[in-house]
Amino acid sequence: MTDSKPLTGGGLLFKVLEQHGVNHVFGYPGGAIMPIYDALYDSEVQHFLCRHEQGAAFSAVGYARASGKVGVCMATSGPGATNLITGLADALADSIPLVAITGQVPTAAMGSDAFQEIDIFGLSLACTKHSFQVSHIDELEKVLHQAFEIALEGRQGPVLVDIPKDIQMASIEQTFKTASPLKNKVKLPLADISKALDLLTHAKQPILYVGGGVGMANAIEEVRTFASKTGLPSVSTLKGLGALNTSDKNYLGMLGMHGTKAANLAVHDCDLLIAVGARFDDRVTGKLDQFAPDAKVIHFDIDISEINKRRIADAPILGDLKENLPLLTLSLNIKNWQEKTQQMKRDCAWRYDHPGEQIFAPAVLKEVSDLMPENTCVTTDVGQHQMWAAQHMSFDDPSNFLTSGSMGTMGFGLPAAIGAQISRPHDTVITVSGDGSIMMNVQELATIKRYQIPVKVVLIDNEKLGMVRQWQDLFFDGRLSETDLADNPDFIMLATAFDIKAKLITKKSEVTAAINEMLDHDGPYLLQVKIDAKDNVWPLVPPNSANNEMMESA
Amino acid sequence: MNTLTLNNYTLIIMTDDKQVVLERILQVTRYRGYLINGMTAKVNTGTNIATIELFVSSDRPISLLTDQINKLVDIKSVKVDNSASQLAIPKPPQGTDSAGIRNVLR
Ligand SMILES: Cc1ncc(C[n+]2csc(CCOP(=O)(O)OP(=O)(O)O)c2C)c(N)n1
Repeated sequence: MTDSKPLTGGGLLFKVLEQHGVNHVFGYPGGAIMPIYDALYDSEVQHFLCRHEQGAAFSAVGYARASGKVGVCMATSGPGATNLITGLADALADSIPLVAITGQVPTAAMGSDAFQEIDIFGLSLACTKHSFQVSHIDELEKVLHQAFEIALEGRQGPVLVDIPKDIQMASIEQTFKTASPLKNKVKLPLADISKALDLLTHAKQPILYVGGGVGMANAIEEVRTFASKTGLPSVSTLKGLGALNTSDKNYLGMLGMHGTKAANLAVHDCDLLIAVGARFDDRVTGKLDQFAPDAKVIHFDIDISEINKRRIADAPILGDLKENLPLLTLSLNIKNWQEKTQQMKRDCAWRYDHPGEQIFAPAVLKEVSDLMPENTCVTTDVGQHQMWAAQHMSFDDPSNFLTSGSMGTMGFGLPAAIGAQISRPHDTVITVSGDGSIMMNVQELATIKRYQIPVKVVLIDNEKLGMVRQWQDLFFDGRLSETDLADNPDFIMLATAFDIKAKLITKKSEVTAAINEMLDHDGPYLLQVKIDAKDNVWPLVPPNSANNEMMESA
Repeated sequence: MNTLTLNNYTLIIMTDDKQVVLERILQVTRYRGYLINGMTAKVNTGTNIATIELFVSSDRPISLLTDQINKLVDIKSVKVDNSASQLAIPKPPQGTDSAGIRNVLR
């Protein structure tokens, strides 16, 4: 193809994006990024205009997590760039590969407190894996290639590229080189698995503890084979959900603060913990020194800085899970332990009996999970509804359950669902949200309207900031400070204003038909589910307690 | 009496002479809970490689910091120079804020 116009920095950006297989970007224009938006006009890359840069960042996160590709978002300088920050922080905390492009004021104006100038490069240090500020047009192409490479290499994460306006406009001869590969700085030693093999062979009560790293390493098959060949009783973190086979009789569910009783008790009693792509997060461990207190630890990870960070590993295994997990696969003689944990699982099975006419959110989410088509992608916001979704829905792949794990960012669900739906147009995408969280990025309903994105919103409405209210009731003497949302907007009217079909249900008898109607509807749909404001998430490991000290009622 | 044991370390960091690499190192060091007692930095203009000596102290194991600094993209290597010399700082009596003392050093 011959182009009459000379290639500019902005044009080069899109050529490089295309080279990296990027078909979709999420963004919002403004003064300092106008040359890039001008180049977009001629590009094959499809841009989705979000209604807030935070929405763009989270859509890029959802896109990346649902598809395994790099998510791309862009924003103008100053307020546009700062609005991306929460999304970048979320992506860093959950290790999501993202490339964020920001416009910057022209090089000559930089450092002069120019209009819409902010030091986003400086701000990026704490919330990205790496960042670049392009100081000359000649380095733009190389920097952009490197951004993609860094986002995907090792433990994945977000990379920001800040491009001054004059560089976006400068003309450039395109070289189309691919990036020179990054030096593999941390040369990973060949895993020494002899210690781990020894620990595993002699363990009487071992547990497999699976985290988000498994999905990120694309090692789901390997971890499932490992689980089934060893017969290890297994537990998952919030971000690991979907990695293990939920129908495996030795799978005990999620562990941690709102984990299943069986998972937490089994981990507490184990004598060997095999952590796979997991990082002993405080929401998982409860009181750290009482977490699996009698266990030795085998720790598989790609990131050396996670080894011994919160728990000393007796046998660290650094490197790629796909290669290393099979090395430890052997058959074990742990029948008594398996029987004991299976019995715990039966004894602690979820119960869905709930008195009265009012809807019980766990039962609704279980039913959505049972009725949704195969390969449905579910996103959540943050709060009680998130924990109920994690507890009562089942997923067959981590890319089918997108939740803000480490950051716990309210406002994640809706834009992440938009990104997920764009990356997977043929799959059903459902977001489970709360009446508090939905308002955090409610403007993205306009994105849904504009592109007719058929996302289904299940809005669990307790007229409260439920999770905070629960803690106030349990741990702050019921002093309900600033958690009441009785004056919420009319969500049905709100959805309707964005041409989104919506329905309100308040009684148990309405649930099944409403879920089916939502799933059968071709376009976007909002199902508002009124629940009792007093319902709590159980079980709960109280703050500063060990995981075997779970509360099961108030 | 409770004592808070701070160990002193000298890190030798070799890095590409890239933008903000110094800020990145300082940010990681502060965030991970290490006090900076001093530093030197010089660049070999021939190779464009900078050598940074960083004097830090912390009650945390130094590997937690070296692993994090090593993850920074532009870093070539991180070494701990000396065997840790121990410096015992008495913990202040209950009720006073030890962070107040530490902040002076930050
Ligand atoms: C951006 C952000 N601000 C504040 C919080 C603290 N927070 C955690 S859960 C929660 C309440 C969420 O309410 P809602 O979305 O209605 O969900 P529910 O707990 O009622 O299911 C709050 C305020 C957060 N996680 N994220």
